[in-house]
Amino acid sequence: MSMPVFDVARPRTLDAAIEALARYGPDVQMVAGGTDLIPSMKQGLFAPSVLLDLKGIRGLDFIRYPAGADLRVGALTRISTLVESPEIARYFPVLHEAAKTIASPLLRNMGTLGGNLCLDTRCLYYNQSQFWRESIGGCIKKDGTICHVAPGGRMCWAVFSGDTAPALLALNASVQLAGPRGQRELPLAGFYVNDGIARIAKANDEIVTGIRVPASSAEWSGTYKKLRLRQSIDYPLAGVAVAMRKDGAGHCLEARIAVNAVNPAPQLVRAAELMQGRRYDAELVEQIAHDAIRTGKPLRTSASTPEYRRQIIRVFVRRALREVWVNGHEGAAVCT
Amino acid sequence: MSQPSNFPPHNGSAVGARIPMVDSVDKVTGAGKYADDLTLPGMLVGKILHSPHAHARIRSIDTSAAEQLPGVYAVATGRETPVKYGILPIGHDETIFAVDKVRYIGDNVAGLAADSEAIADEALRLIDVDYEILPGYFDPEKSMEAEQDLIHEDKPRNIEKEYHHHFGDVEAGFAAADYIRHDRFECAEVTHAALEPHSTLARFDSQGTLTVWSSTQVPYYLMKTLAATLQMPESKVRVIKPLVGGGFGGKSEVIPLELAAAVLARKAGHPVKITYSREEVFYAHRGRPRQTVELKTGVTREGKLTAVEARIVQDGGAFCGYGVVTILYSGQLLNAMYDIPNVKFDGYRVLTNKPACGAMRGHGTVNTRFAFEQQLNMIATVLGIDPVEIRRRNLLQAPCITVNGLRVLSYGLPECIDKVAGQSDWNEKYGKQRFGKGIGIAGSHYVSGAANPIIRAQMPHTTVNLSADEKGVVTIFTGASEIGQGSDTMQVQIVAAELGIPVDRVKIVAADTALTPVDLGSYSSRVTFMAGNAALDAARNLRQVIMAAAKKSTNAGNQLTFDDAARLAIGPNETLTAAGTYAPPKDAQGGKFKGAGVGPSPAYSYSAQVAEVTVDTETGEVRVDRITAAHDCGKAINPINVEGQVIGSVWMGLGQAVQEEMVWEGGRLMNPGLLEYRSASTHESPPIDPIIVESNDPEGPFGAKEAGEGSLAATIPAVAHAIYDAVGVWINTLPITPEKVLKALEEKKKTGVRS
Repeated sequence: MSMPVFDVARPRTLDAAIEALARYGPDVQMVAGGTDLIPSMKQGLFAPSVLLDLKGIRGLDFIRYPAGADLRVGALTRISTLVESPEIARYFPVLHEAAKTIASPLLRNMGTLGGNLCLDTRCLYYNQSQFWRESIGGCIKKDGTICHVAPGGRMCWAVFSGDTAPALLALNASVQLAGPRGQRELPLAGFYVNDGIARIAKANDEIVTGIRVPASSAEWSGTYKKLRLRQSIDYPLAGVAVAMRKDGAGHCLEARIAVNAVNPAPQLVRAAELMQGRRYDAELVEQIAHDAIRTGKPLRTSASTPEYRRQIIRVFVRRALREVWVNGHEGAAVCT
Repeated sequence: MSQPSNFPPHNGSAVGARIPMVDSVDKVTGAGKYADDLTLPGMLVGKILHSPHAHARIRSIDTSAAEQLPGVYAVATGRETPVKYGILPIGHDETIFAVDKVRYIGDNVAGLAADSEAIADEALRLIDVDYEILPGYFDPEKSMEAEQDLIHEDKPRNIEKEYHHHFGDVEAGFAAADYIRHDRFECAEVTHAALEPHSTLARFDSQGTLTVWSSTQVPYYLMKTLAATLQMPESKVRVIKPLVGGGFGGKSEVIPLELAAAVLARKAGHPVKITYSREEVFYAHRGRPRQTVELKTGVTREGKLTAVEARIVQDGGAFCGYGVVTILYSGQLLNAMYDIPNVKFDGYRVLTNKPACGAMRGHGTVNTRFAFEQQLNMIATVLGIDPVEIRRRNLLQAPCITVNGLRVLSYGLPECIDKVAGQSDWNEKYGKQRFGKGIGIAGSHYVSGAANPIIRAQMPHTTVNLSADEKGVVTIFTGASEIGQGSDTMQVQIVAAELGIPVDRVKIVAADTALTPVDLGSYSSRVTFMAGNAALDAARNLRQVIMAAAKKSTNAGNQLTFDDAARLAIGPNETLTAAGTYAPPKDAQGGKFKGAGVGPSPAYSYSAQVAEVTVDTETGEVRVDRITAAHDCGKAINPINVEGQVIGSVWMGLGQAVQEEMVWEGGRLMNPGLLEYRSASTHESPPIDPIIVESNDPEGPFGAKEAGEGSLAATIPAVAHAIYDAVGVWINTLPITPEKVLKALEEKKKTGVRS
């Protein structure tokens, strides 16, 4: 399949980019690393007449973590830079662990944080060639009216497949946006919309400029578990991110758990609050795992079955909590 | 410049030498050219319109809008070229483009040639096809019940071919058994996933001669099919095979784009190149069919096989392709591995509305071998016999002829078993590791070329010509197709060894039907044995001519260098040539029953493998930790290359064992791309230790047999066995996904039964 014909605009400043977005309106599409958009363009999922290449914008490729302050990462920061950052590895391990699992080394060198946060939702019936999609009459997300995953419904269940978002949710991060009406900041939990078509609460004329992780989330223990059939290249079939602040005795002071790749949006698991003030408790873990499964509602959007993905979320919650909660407090775990 | 060789020393040192492949530098530097690298002045881009329906009648095709689009030079449809073709003489059921009917999603409806890919894509959308949808058949068992709307009108019940073989007396065999097992195995459909997508460039010159450059394993058959379908004399068709980026069987028959490019080039009056997208490669397919094996095996208390009965059903797709051969291999090669006195086989190759299956590395044997080896391991477990030992108790006594007429001369299986058991510390590990860690064993075998040609003709299977010039360079002219497996290097080494000259004195011209003699192609692992023997024969003949000339000279023969002797032989004629041929001996050509032609080979390779795995009992994930693979290749002409082939076979087998699967929803392939069709990444590629076993086949060139395919089949049952050893569950369906393992573990927990 040939690429559609398009023009490329290369703004050098954020203002110029915002201005270009307004000028081209719905015909424009933003691109940075291109690892998500370009394959989709080849499949005919998008045919923008103008590609707004953000890579030339100065000042959006940074990782700033001044002592005691919030962590700020620019949207054009490449995933590989994120992975290699010693500050992130040390103070925000869940983000480091998640970034490490994205795609493959080559793709991490191209892909950016902004792109990973704004990743299009994915589905077995959507991420196919134009020929393939036409042979089935399209789907509710593109060129059709029905959802093949949940026929009868009016909802698109394509899943969000970015790996950094659940980690950042667990760190209580916010996303920063810039547009013609100025800059604004949204908590990440409010940025994602649990609808495979709407996906994110970003206006078409806005650009994601970066993320902010509050200083209060620094030094939380954390881990990310990702289900995939290949340990490289693959998008997640399910993911669980855990971040936890503990005291010296292994009490959980605060914790967040997010599940991804099973819903149109990455989501926080509510029952994580129950851990507050508690030491590792296997029964409590089961309760949380149960809530995680209820939070994640996998459908047949990928090769793996919903039953298996649910089961794996349970296993991942158990493993992640044991790893994060017990680690360094093995004695405490035995006591409870 | 290398030292002048003494002539006539005959040390054969080039055979067994660990030298890099002769084309490797060009490949790694990018200097080498593959089909899609080639361009010609005025060349157009060819594209094919594919069917969106699995089964439909074509009421009409309107191409006028596409033809009128500026930049479009030619549009072709099926009615213009209705000549039927197929790789097997009994399976001519394909046409270049569909005539009247489409038979699978992806079937070829029309082709066009245009200035650019974008124009071609736009023009494809302008072709208007009116379809009448027919019911589709997607499951072979259901397809066999069909009474109307048959996929091919001349194939009742949609059965391409069925075979019913009975050798010995299975009733008596089962009566003599102390233990009989009946199991059902299901193997998912897999495909080759060669890195290079199919690509073909076609040009007609001013004389009306067609030249086709194509990524093919079978230039000779392609030449013949081009001539037949374009209705041209063979003398006017030339096929050149550039470098090929992997075939694995997917390029071992004529693929529609090869003919479409030629048709369009003729119609457009311009050269036309077609390169498939990855999705089109999946629709061209010709991979390993989905197969069910119902297997019944009887053994004595001591584990000696008394009878085997198999019912095998293959989901063949919409065309015959190699299908008749596939189903026959799946039954015939139950034999020639172990000593089985009584064998019954019922095989069904069934048509379905999906892309045609065909030959894929280990053609026909792999799924049957998985079933057999798995069941043998189950039997060993029940009888309390070590799985290594049960194999030793069932070895053939070679040389021998099997009950179905297969002649086995060299037989390195016993040594393969000993070597892998020893090197993997089998005795220390089997059944003795912690829960979750396991070790398993299995064997496999394969033909070194089919003893009977596809085209029924009395001619050698291979001819190799040699010429020597006054510079002391020997040039090989061979039709054999280098597809990355080492065909060229193997022939260079054999000729250099026989003539006693360094390998860099031997040049090779290969796989150009205008310049090189006939070779049937790179399939059924025939090249080392057959082209190797022909090259050896040619070198012997050349050597004789040179020796005769040297003897006539006044100097003593053994004082002459090769160059001097060759110059004497060249003499005033200024030319020195020799030819060699190979045809399999009569006594290797098998029995007389229906279907006896497939399975016989002049020699069989043997493999034994030990797999070691770790199973995550909470997620069902299987990590393969190590594979120890012994392969009896007769004699390693080039040990590096043999090791590479064994490692590659094991790796490909691992893909089928635990990951790879073509996922269907009706006739729709859900994963026609390399993101969702998951071949192993480096993370899933464990250490593989190849062990070369040399049984020195009496008829192989320098004793050599095949090395490229036979090791694949053993990997799958070895891994399945290791999983059993690790966690106590037998998984009889492929691929063995984490989900299946987890489900089996839960079942086991519920029932408490160990198998």
